[in-house]
Amino acid sequence: MQKQEFETKRMSADILIIGGGIAGLTAAISAKEVNPDTDVLVVEKQTSGYSGKANKGGGVLQYFDLEKVTPEMFNEYHANAVGGYLANQNLLMKYVRMNNEMLDKLEEWGVNVPKKRIPTGPMTYMIGLDLDITLKMRQKATKLGVRFIDKTTISDLLTNDGKIAGAVGYSIIDGTFYVFEGKKVILCTGSQNYRVASMWSNGRGDGYHAAFRAGAKMRNPEFGNFMQLFRVNSNRECVFCENVMYDNYGQNITKNFRRFLEADISSSAVAEWYNQMAAGKGPIFIHPHESPMTDNETMMFHAWERPYGLRFWEVDFEKDQLVDKEYNGALEVVPGLVGEQSPVRVDEDMQTTIEGMYAAGDVCYDGSCAPGAVPAPPGRNRGSGILNAVFAGIVSGQEAAKTAADAVQQPIDEAKVAELKEAAYAPLFREEGIHPKEVIDKVQDIMCPVENSVYMSQHRIDVCLRKIEKVKAMVDQMKADDFHYLLTCHEAEAMVFSAEMHFRAASMRKESRGWFLREDFPRMDNENWLKWIVVENDNGEMKFSTEDVPIDDYPVKPPPMFH
Amino acid sequence: MIYTNHKIEFDESKCVGCQICYKACFVDVIRWDADKKKPVFKYVEDCEHCNYCEVKCPKGCIKVIPDFASQSFRQTFDIYSKNNKELIIRD
Repeated sequence: MQKQEFETKRMSADILIIGGGIAGLTAAISAKEVNPDTDVLVVEKQTSGYSGKANKGGGVLQYFDLEKVTPEMFNEYHANAVGGYLANQNLLMKYVRMNNEMLDKLEEWGVNVPKKRIPTGPMTYMIGLDLDITLKMRQKATKLGVRFIDKTTISDLLTNDGKIAGAVGYSIIDGTFYVFEGKKVILCTGSQNYRVASMWSNGRGDGYHAAFRAGAKMRNPEFGNFMQLFRVNSNRECVFCENVMYDNYGQNITKNFRRFLEADISSSAVAEWYNQMAAGKGPIFIHPHESPMTDNETMMFHAWERPYGLRFWEVDFEKDQLVDKEYNGALEVVPGLVGEQSPVRVDEDMQTTIEGMYAAGDVCYDGSCAPGAVPAPPGRNRGSGILNAVFAGIVSGQEAAKTAADAVQQPIDEAKVAELKEAAYAPLFREEGIHPKEVIDKVQDIMCPVENSVYMSQHRIDVCLRKIEKVKAMVDQMKADDFHYLLTCHEAEAMVFSAEMHFRAASMRKESRGWFLREDFPRMDNENWLKWIVVENDNGEMKFSTEDVPIDDYPVKPPPMFH
Repeated sequence: MIYTNHKIEFDESKCVGCQICYKACFVDVIRWDADKKKPVFKYVEDCEHCNYCEVKCPKGCIKVIPDFASQSFRQTFDIYSKNNKELIIRD
């Protein structure tokens, strides 16, 4: 493209919300509920109401019956069976405590919340929300006076003296450059899924990469490597099937992996797939008809009143069936990377380390420490993504709205804006360069294998880091032919950032815990690793340190035998 | 690089110009031609076949045909799969 000047538009708001999925919409509505006079603007890279992860991926919502389960009971189960004592237990219990309030609010906002429940774990139930949840929430937000800008991506955040001032970005349709002033900013841009097994999320880590560049700290990036099993032909997800995995010789390899109705696959089942393949016993199959959990796949479609979601799943299922092959009732499966790095460091009020900036939803799930050593949903609590996003959306929206209207707008540094504009458009004006998909391709090759990102070892981590260094050198050479591919360039750059942060933090953590699994350090090490890994921006480089988990302040502690 | 060969069939004569498909696409495959008031399927190579455009079209004028063979989870042991992945074209 010939070098040219693109139009700059300026907009301002009391609260600027970046990302219009469930967390962003919840934050917008919640801010308006606190103070209807607060001016709220939502900027979404695709179309708010249709964007986001959980409304497509599953549309299922995990919740608690607080008459049977107390926050303390769930916290104890979660610390022992899921999060490996690395959770901020106070925050996790605050989330459970708000369960009924959150369901009431969803109903109040026009979402159809079915009464029928299906138990999914020892403590949890699941209901199927219809997939128009975000459309209903956008309607509600619009009615409250929230403004929306779609098809516009944020390329950088603006700060002044460590305080948030707004953001810059561009329209992916016509390239118009935007300068957004915001007294408060709430980042709701989702997790990183490396564009592999997307589960239909467009979270590519570009939001938190921008936050890192602006000086926000990250935390727990090494837990963003979720994998689950997929059918090899259609790449359709296979859930709840760990107990019925078989090798090529008909031996059940994971008979007792699911000892109780825990909510989801563990990393040990993924590692077992790798071990069996490495031993020459593959390919690996599941025998879905041997377990009531997997016998009838379409059962989940019809369990709840979901006219909108039913058609969605039926069409998907019909197409998958055209290519899936059963071998005497067995289906070949392969683990696929879902990702879910969610590292923005926030406190219990969802405040990031940049004053005036909050985060909510998948972008800060692990950064909040609420779950411990486990990736963002699906993580090991399938269906918990929606309520977690609603929780963080409510907390951040309410906190921001308390002071936003009367807060002072930080000045915008125009020289910095000009510099960021030039940097954002640079790939458009390169005459020669690398296609961004080549960069994404290389990151996927590094991240995808089980033995690299889930079942890790020091040697393999070091090899991956050396490969990532080579890919990093390609980032400044990417070339975009138009604004669609300009966004792809920025997403590719964020993927390189995420992958590097994953491996460097994983290299530090010399133990196994929760979902985090190292072949060379298979034991949990509570002497040395009751710690969170923190990443900060040190003149453009990642600087790593640790924070001690204040385990003495929490009700559940590791059992003494592991001390 | 892996190239995808997804296809989207579109019956323009039935389209009423409601824009739902354009809004529903979360990966910017579908653009909008404001003059013709019709969708343009511009970046089909990026389709993740969520099928939302097809499912939500009130006139049933869209059909997404996924290229399943182009998908891979890139495991080291892919060559031992029973699935025929030879259709994946890489350069």
